[in-house]
Order: sequence, then structure tokens, then C-alpha cells
Amino acid sequence: MNSSHIVPIVIIVAAVAFSAWRRRRRRGTDTPRRPVRSSARLHGVTWLVAESEFRQRVRGRAFRLATLFVLLAVAAAIAVPSLTKGSAKAQRVGVVGTLSAAERSGVTALARSVGTGVRLVPEADTAAASAALKKGSIDLAVVDGTSVLVHKTLANDDTSTTAQLARAVARTLGTARAINAAGLSQAQVADLAAAQPVPISAVQVSTKSAINKPAVTAGAILVFILLTQYLSWTLTGVMQEKANRVVEVLLATVRPLQLLTGKLLGIAAVVFGQAALVVAVAFGVGKGVGSDLIHGAGPELLGSQFLWLVLGYALYSWLYAAVGSMVERQDQVQSLALPLVIPLVFGYIIALTSAGSGSPSTLLKVLAYLPPTAPFAMPVLAAFKAVSWWQYLISIAIMLAAIAGAARLAAGIYRRAILRTGRRVHFRELFHSSS
Amino acid sequence: MSFEVDGLVRRFGTLTALDHLTFTVPAGQIVGFLGPNGAGKTTTMRAVFGLTELDAGMVHWRGEPISARHRRRFGYMPEERGLYPSMPLAEQVVYFGRLHGMSLADAQQATEVWLERLELADRADDKIESLSHGNQQRAQLAAALVHDPELLVLDEPLSGLDPGGIDAIIDVLRERAHAGSGVLLSSHQLDLVEDMCESVVIIDHGRLVASGTVDDLETSGARRLVVDVQGDRNAGWARQLPGVTVSEVSAEGARLVLDEAVDSQDVLTAAMAAGRVTRFDLVRRRLSEVFREATQR
Repeated sequence: MNSSHIVPIVIIVAAVAFSAWRRRRRRGTDTPRRPVRSSARLHGVTWLVAESEFRQRVRGRAFRLATLFVLLAVAAAIAVPSLTKGSAKAQRVGVVGTLSAAERSGVTALARSVGTGVRLVPEADTAAASAALKKGSIDLAVVDGTSVLVHKTLANDDTSTTAQLARAVARTLGTARAINAAGLSQAQVADLAAAQPVPISAVQVSTKSAINKPAVTAGAILVFILLTQYLSWTLTGVMQEKANRVVEVLLATVRPLQLLTGKLLGIAAVVFGQAALVVAVAFGVGKGVGSDLIHGAGPELLGSQFLWLVLGYALYSWLYAAVGSMVERQDQVQSLALPLVIPLVFGYIIALTSAGSGSPSTLLKVLAYLPPTAPFAMPVLAAFKAVSWWQYLISIAIMLAAIAGAARLAAGIYRRAILRTGRRVHFRELFHSSS
Repeated sequence: MSFEVDGLVRRFGTLTALDHLTFTVPAGQIVGFLGPNGAGKTTTMRAVFGLTELDAGMVHWRGEPISARHRRRFGYMPEERGLYPSMPLAEQVVYFGRLHGMSLADAQQATEVWLERLELADRADDKIESLSHGNQQRAQLAAALVHDPELLVLDEPLSGLDPGGIDAIIDVLRERAHAGSGVLLSSHQLDLVEDMCESVVIIDHGRLVASGTVDDLETSGARRLVVDVQGDRNAGWARQLPGVTVSEVSAEGARLVLDEAVDSQDVLTAAMAAGRVTRFDLVRRRLSEVFREATQR
């Protein structure tokens, strides 16, 4: 699946969601037996609650600082690797004796091949070069074109730029000496220099896809952080409204579903806005520094993670709100929230490990279709290009159905639990006829 | 034009919180809603706003079964105050006004008026949690009044207030009643209810046990005398009299309750025989006495 499929998928998702909203608006109420009320009033109140919730969330200094921190972190994560790539500190190469023009060009070309530049520094003699190496004013030295001098012995696993350049220069100078000693003609030397490597064929197609591991991993981490933050807001927000009894005043004039939906919409607006800001900054910075993120699969990955962040919030927010309506204190939360935290963390861990392994596991493929874990698994699976566009749509459809089910369940729990104060509400109480 | 609860029944398991409760709150009156703890006052008020389901009975407003449309015209102040602690005062009152159907401009204007009236104008931008208890009560009242409600339902609106705060809220409630709103308020401060309310409703165990105007209730029932005999602070002379109960002894004298058959002249004679009588008054029942006798506590 490639980026040309993402746009129609997003359009289809938006169309389905809009259609569901319109159907619900025509139905009008949270219990089918009640008469339909003025939809303008129904939705006016819901939007009022959403607007108030949004304003309360974004005006807090902590929120603004946290958003700024996230944006800076994202910008740095994109800009720094791009800006430092290929601009590693130029190697200072001391030259004892003379190097021919061809040898100088060769050293410069070798430096470029290991991702660095080179500055040739004349040294009087080997002793001067040694002293300069010890002092750190040069990184390596070429002595009379016949040997390479470094500060410390190179270990076999030393992959530093200096080590790579030293080995390349030594190999090249050695080859050049051998060619000179062989007494080859100019044409033969030219043929040797132009020699191409023989082709490499594979017996079997690799299952490892070339994904941008850092981007996929960072995206999964960011989605997890943002999602847990938003869900925490939802749960504590509902809990606090119950604990400080403001919900009793609100429900005297607003219906439970209006209050709950408005609250979740308000937070969803923050989710959407903050995530869109992250994506915009990622694109902007990526374009500014010429990052790989805005090329190839980068936009598709960003779009996919954005979409699944919103879908993940849409699913879990209802359930977290239901938990919040059953408790009044933080210590009452854990046992109720644990069944919700487990699939969230599980999906996140599997997505991270799959991204790191470089190939999609069977478990990842299964989790990509399960609503509680799909927000993490599906973007990673899509990054591996291991899912077709229609499979992607199926996962979204399953997710939308799960969201509708969660909303219905949560609304019922909320309506029954939110006004039961003084202690934690147990599930068995919620549906008892005389409660 | 009035508010009526008619035959309300609410059970929680084996506990009957409301037992066919019926009473009326006329427009333009302040009605005291009294009862011991656990009598069902809060449950009744919550039932008015649909915050608890009823097993039977109806709530009527101007003859119609109450609906969400009617409730938007009511103001509610629950016993346990409900405000957003970290939301600024004025913004919160505006928000509640808008939830009741006001436009933004109207809600802002009304908020300004009510904050001024409740002496909170200089705290408009302060968060609720930074206000004192008394000011939070006023803020809660402002939220209940901002939309010009036709009925106010207030659960213990005066609890925890200093005399200044109490006077301010009573003034506001009298104004609202004078303007035509009905007010139903519960309180354990019976002396304040006595001063403020035209009528009271007393419930116990979810049932109506007494109702009527304060005047009627206080002038009904057994006759009461306040008699002060010099040198006999304990009213020992009265304790011997058949059909006479000493309900209270204070610096003002002994408060006596007479059975129907007792002749007050006989009481006067007995008092004079006991010493110099400096006071002998026929008095009304206090509301607290009405309450105790109605609830038999």
C-alpha cells in the first residue's frame, strides 16, 4: 500500500464517520424510547460542553509547555540527523613528504566515500606528524605516500570516520604502489580504475522490508505518549467532575450523553490539533532540512500514524470515561483501568519490537485487525508495506464498529454511575433494577 | 402558576426514600423544605431535576409533567457544591448561563449583574478554588440565578455562611420571590427559615408530616405560655401542675405547653402562689417546636 491509497482511505473514513454522525443526529437521543428533541438544542449543548472542555485544556500552562517540548523534540529528531549527515567534521590529514595530484584527489574522494571531508595539512617530518597526532591537531597522517600513521592502534571493530578513512587510504595507496610496481601501461591502469564489481544475486527474496526504522519507532513512541496523555485527561476529567460534584449541577440541565460526548469531543479537538501540529512541524522541518521523512514512504507513515492516533483515542476515550464515572479517587482507578492498559501497552510493545526487527511478525499482522491494538500495529504493518489498501480499510471498519460499541457501553455505564457518589461503583450495581 | 410534586415514590432496595410525597411551591413564595437528616429532602430535589429515577409519582410545572425544557428554566444549588475549581468565576457563570439556553452576550451581561449583586465583581477573574467558602456559596448561587430562573431549588444554601453572607443570600432570595419566582430551599437553620419563608413543608421518612404557612403552623397546636416567677428559675411550681409540660427554661422564663383541658387562669394562680410573676405571655409555637412535634424527635 502506498501513499496514493492513504488519501482515499482518509476520505472514506471521514465519510463513514460523518454518515454515522448524521444517522445518530436523526435518531437524536441516547435511549431510543424517548422522544426526539430539537437537534439544534441537543448538539448546541454538546458543542458548548466541547468548547468549554477544549478551552480548559489548552489554556493551561502545563499543556502549552508540554506541546512546545514535543514540537521541539520532533523538530530536533528530524533536523539533527539530516543536518549532521554528510557533514561530519572534516578529517585533518597530515602529509609528510609529497603527494601527487592524483594521490590528493584519491584521498579527497576516499574521504567523501566515508561521509566526510578532508583537509590536508603539511607536516615537516614523521616526528612532527607524530607530535601533531598526539596533540590532536591532525586525525591521521600519510608518510611519503608509503604508510599511514594514526594516533592509536585501530581495533578491528573500530568504525569511526578516522579509522574508515585510514584503512581506505592505506588500501588505496597500497594498490597504487602495486600497480606502479607491476609496470602497467596508462590504459591498463585506467581499465583497473574503471573496473565494476561483479553482480550479486539472491537465492531467496528477503522478508526484511526497507522501512525507516527510526521514523517508525519514533512515531510509535510518540503515539503512545500522546494517547496515554489524552486518555489520562479523559479519565481524570470525568472523575474530577464527579468528585467535586459539578456533574450534579450540569446534569440538572444537560443530558448525560450530551455531557459525555461534549467532553470527549473537546479533548478529541485537542488531540487532533496537537497531532496535526506535530505532523505540520515534522513536514515543515523535514522539508527545510531535506529529510527523508518527506520523501518516499515518509508522508504515508505520518498520515497513517495520525489517523490511528485519532481512531485509538476514539475507541479508548469512551472506555476511560466510563471508568472515570465509576470512581472518585485515583486509588480507586487502578483495578478498573488495568484491563484497558494491558492491550494498549501490549500493542505498543509488539509494534516497537516488529519495527526494530525489520520484518512484520505474524502476531503483528493479527494485532493490526484487533481494535485495542490496531492503533500501534497497523501503522507499523503499513510501513512494512505488508497490507493492501482493502485490508487497511477492513481494519478501519472493524475499528469504527468497535468505537460505536464502546460508545454505547460507556454511555450506559456513565449514565448509571456518574451520580453515585461516596464510593467506587461496582459493575453489578450498575444494572440492578432498584439502583 | 406553581410547582407540584405529586405522589413521589423512590426506593433504594428495601429502603423507601420517598413515600407518596406530595406538596406545592407557589410562584412568588419562598417555601422552606424541612426534615431530619435522611428524611428524603435531597432525593426529592434530585428527582425534580431527573437526577434520580422515580418508582412512581410525577413532578408538575404549571400543570404540565416536567420535562428537560422546563428544567432549563429552573436554578439548582445542590447540597454539595458543584463548581469547576480551576475555572475563573465569571467564565463559569457564563458557561452555566449558556447551558441554560442563553446567548453568549446575554449570559455575559447577566453574569456581570449577578456578580455585582452578590458582591463578587472584583473576583470575576479569580479561580473558584481561590475563593472563600462564603464566596463559593455566592458563586454557586450566581450560577443558579444567571438565567433568571422561574423556580429555584436550593439544598442547604445557607450552611457554613457568616451572618453577612446569610443576609446577602436572603436578600437575593426575597427579591427573586418578589419578582415572581418560586423558591424551594432546605435548611436546618430553622430560625432563618422562620424569618425568610412564607410556608414550609416538613417531611420525615419520605412522607409529608406537616405543611402550611409559617403563621398557621405556629399558631396551631397546643397553647403555649411563657411565665417568669421571681426566685424560681427551674419552674418547679409548674412541674406539679397536671396537663402542663415545661418544654424549656431560660432567662426569659419557663416555656409551658398546656393540654387542651387546662385553664390558663389556673396556671396563673399557681404561678402567683409560687412568687412574684414578672411575665405571663401566651406565645406561638416556634418553628423548631413545630418541627419536633411533626417529626416526633
